[in-house]
Amino acid sequence: MVFRSLRFKLTLWYVLILGILLVSFSSLLYITLSRSLYRDVDNRLRSLAHLIATESGSPSSTFDFGKLDQAVRATLNLRPVGKFIQVLDGSGNVGEKSENLKNVQLPISLQALKNASKGFITFETVRTFGNTPLRMMTLPVIEKGNMARIIQVASSLEDVEDALRTLFIILVITVPLALLVASLGGLFLANQALKPVDHITQTARMITSQNLNQRIKSLKVKDEISRLIETFNEMISRLDQSFHQIRQFSSDASHELKTPLTILKGEVEVALRKERTSQDYEQILRSNLEEINRMSKIVDNLLLLARTETGEIRLFKEEINLSQIVSEVVTQLTKLAHDKDLQIVATNHHEDTLLYGDALRIRQMLLNLIENSIKYTEPGGSISVSLERNAPHSLPGKEKGSYDGVKIVVSDTGIGIAKEDQERIFGRFFRVDKARSGEQGGSGLGLSICKWIVEAHQGEISVESELGKGCRFIVKLPIHSHTS
Amino acid sequence: MRILVIEDEKKVATFIKKGLVEEHYAVDTAFDGEEGLYLSEINEYDLIVLDLMIPKIDGFGVLKKIRERKNNVPILVLTAKDSVDDTVRGLDAGGDDYLTKPFAFAELLARIRALLRRDKKEKESVLRIADLSLSIVTHKVMRQGKEIELTSKEYALLDYFMRNPEKVLTRTMISEHVWDYHFDSNTNVIDVYVNYLRKKIDKDFDPKLIHTIRGIGYMMKKE
Repeated sequence: MVFRSLRFKLTLWYVLILGILLVSFSSLLYITLSRSLYRDVDNRLRSLAHLIATESGSPSSTFDFGKLDQAVRATLNLRPVGKFIQVLDGSGNVGEKSENLKNVQLPISLQALKNASKGFITFETVRTFGNTPLRMMTLPVIEKGNMARIIQVASSLEDVEDALRTLFIILVITVPLALLVASLGGLFLANQALKPVDHITQTARMITSQNLNQRIKSLKVKDEISRLIETFNEMISRLDQSFHQIRQFSSDASHELKTPLTILKGEVEVALRKERTSQDYEQILRSNLEEINRMSKIVDNLLLLARTETGEIRLFKEEINLSQIVSEVVTQLTKLAHDKDLQIVATNHHEDTLLYGDALRIRQMLLNLIENSIKYTEPGGSISVSLERNAPHSLPGKEKGSYDGVKIVVSDTGIGIAKEDQERIFGRFFRVDKARSGEQGGSGLGLSICKWIVEAHQGEISVESELGKGCRFIVKLPIHSHTS
Repeated sequence: MRILVIEDEKKVATFIKKGLVEEHYAVDTAFDGEEGLYLSEINEYDLIVLDLMIPKIDGFGVLKKIRERKNNVPILVLTAKDSVDDTVRGLDAGGDDYLTKPFAFAELLARIRALLRRDKKEKESVLRIADLSLSIVTHKVMRQGKEIELTSKEYALLDYFMRNPEKVLTRTMISEHVWDYHFDSNTNVIDVYVNYLRKKIDKDFDPKLIHTIRGIGYMMKKE
């Protein structure tokens, strides 16, 4: 768990990169330094050997090989500290040597001799000589075509190796130490940076449908984390809102169902308190049936709306004759209107208006709209249903030429809808006047369903109304060719 | 006992009225807040059954207005919402009790009875004067151990007399508490019913309990 955490991964990467950097840097340092130190040693050996060779080889030379140390000191005006000098004759026998060699000889390898005979210089590192390794140069001196002598100059590598060893030890100790400190620091920084993430996790874990009003505390600094917090909070707000809508919906739905239930329960209970005549029972049963039908209607509408939301309901679109449907629906509702002493007129300027749509749903939408008008119009009023073809230019709000459609207008002389309610009437369970629709058995869902049907046909529905004078429901449906 | 039912759902109002009338209450109904307020102002009710969701003036508004008029009539609130908030609001606005829809009719009756005896000294469900007793639950009327059969109106009249013993009850008071809105005050219906009642509870018994106060009305007392 710990090893999978982001802070561990971040620290690990950080330490890994730092480690690679430190190790490469240290290696480079070590290699460069050691090369330069060895080159220095070689250079010094070479210049000393050449000096001796030049001094001793000149015709006016006073260089006395017999007193090598003094000669070197006198002629070269230098005192070569820690340098071993040895001179061999042309055939390789050891001749003079510096005093610091005492009774030992510098070794000479076969390779060096062979090189010398060809006139080449040889550098070698000798580890068999005493306690410390020795850097040695073998220089042949050629006089008159023959090898006159061989000059060997050597220097101890002790100082160089000591310096390199010290450097190595320092690096081996400091690099891991630096990495350790860096990893602790990295962990601390990662912790600091990720602390708000823990806070987010905790709050998010605590949030359930019961406490969606909670929010994650936002940070003062506006960084990536604070943007994450904002995003989370916005998401919680949206969830809160939709939960609220669901709660509102179920509370509205149960409230809607409670009225018919109250009536059923009350009427039956009152009826059972006494013996009744069969006419009484019949009347009660009829009333009960009405309430049962009302409940079925509410439940049907609720189910329909719920299914439209989940997209379970598909429209079965085909070519339909809208003019025919309008006149059929009007005919169907004429009796209902006349029973309430209402005039109902249908006007249609076209014999056939063909539309690509779902006949069942269009019919349902028209039924809902006209029934609504009948419901909310006082006896003596009138209802008119008109169907018009729209020329494209008659809809200024639409893109030019792209719209070809029909307009269905259902208008009545009813009680009307107040301005502030006009927006809300397409919402669920919204009723301008609960009492009026209650006795008609409305569910408060009819206009919601109409809106869904119209929108599922890519149309739009709107209402114009003046309180007390009536209202006009306007449905605009586009005519799509069924090939599109 | 006269009750006003303010309920916009006509069928609910109708069955409540029917049930209450069969329990010998005189019942008026109003279908919106305005009508309810008007009726509660012109008549003296013993109890009001009030639905909270009613048009024109909602239940809370009706409660507030009734209480502003210093009218202490017991009010039973009906609500379809069972949220605690609504209940608390209803009771705080001046409701005396509440019932959520759908309710059991027997419970409505029991709560009405409880509210009606709320201000009475005795909390018994049987009213007594001398050897006459009336059970407000079973509606059984007994005198000297004999059960007396009464019609609905006679029962309502006796109930009103027995709830107000030793008080002069004018014809107006009797009409307001025993008859409903449709009572025609120009008739002598009250005197006729008082006589019917006398025949049943006083004629064969002593002492006589219903006394005529000339020019004013009637009073029930033991001698």
